[in-house]
Amino acid sequence: MRRAGRKRDYRGMAEGELDLLPMMNVFIVLIPMLLTSAVFLKVAVIDTNVPSATSAAPSSPAEDLSLAITIKDDYFVVEGRGIESRAIARQDADAGAKLAAALAEVVIAHPDHQDVIIISQPKTRYQDIIAVMDISRASGLMSASLLGAE
Amino acid sequence: MRHHNKRNRLRPSSSLILTSLMDILTVLVLFLLKSFVMEGEAITPVPGVALPESSSKTAPRSSIVIAIFEDTVMLNGEVVATISKATASDNLLISPLARRLDETREQAEEIARLRGAPEGFDGKVSIQGDREINFAILQRVMYTCSASGYDHISLAVIESS
Repeated sequence: MRRAGRKRDYRGMAEGELDLLPMMNVFIVLIPMLLTSAVFLKVAVIDTNVPSATSAAPSSPAEDLSLAITIKDDYFVVEGRGIESRAIARQDADAGAKLAAALAEVVIAHPDHQDVIIISQPKTRYQDIIAVMDISRASGLMSASLLGAE
Repeated sequence: MRHHNKRNRLRPSSSLILTSLMDILTVLVLFLLKSFVMEGEAITPVPGVALPESSSKTAPRSSIVIAIFEDTVMLNGEVVATISKATASDNLLISPLARRLDETREQAEEIARLRGAPEGFDGKVSIQGDREINFAILQRVMYTCSASGYDHISLAVIESS
């Protein structure tokens, strides 16, 4: 009896196969778990300045330009000290490109200037503000401050 | 040829060759585990928040997280205020949030003091806002943060491809 059993065991192992089924079971559970919790979207951040409540006045002379982009319901308004203010209709498909061009002009005229104030309405969507920040960052205005319309 | 036939006849229930499948699975598991490790202590998006897309490439730092979505304002995963209530008044300060932020700041200062950290309290906060929220609530949250001493505010976004 015992002999026969041993003999059968040897025959089963003859091919030298690993019993992979338990490992498969583990993997089949592990992979969906990891896949569902994996984050494929990369999160980044945008650093912003908050105009501090105590000292709203700009400190250095380089900031005297006080370049501001106002996001209105229908227009972007680019204005600043010594800059001809201009309005760009937001409905246009190329409003972003026009805004970038307007900002690029300002940057060329004032190469040291890196600050921009983005003035939003209470109803402005967050995504729109981020889009304007992107455009201004792409134009070389690295430091954006968010401000609300009075 | 004949040899093969003989073998097949001897083992009618042919077993699957799982080795190659195991290789794939092993690589997959290692890849997924590695992607977890690589994330480090970066902030993870709060469920329910659809972050706006941006071209920013700045890597997130670990900090306290304020999530704003639907009608709630959450601080570190805890609901502290509602948007409808906060935007109802003209006052920019959201007092429940300010209270919690003050508590958090005191704790952080205490920890920094006990550890003898030279830089002390860094005042970093990241805001995870849903892309559909209005500026009104964002402004109030940012104002409250800076009023409580958190003036290094970073806005969390998703890198657009």
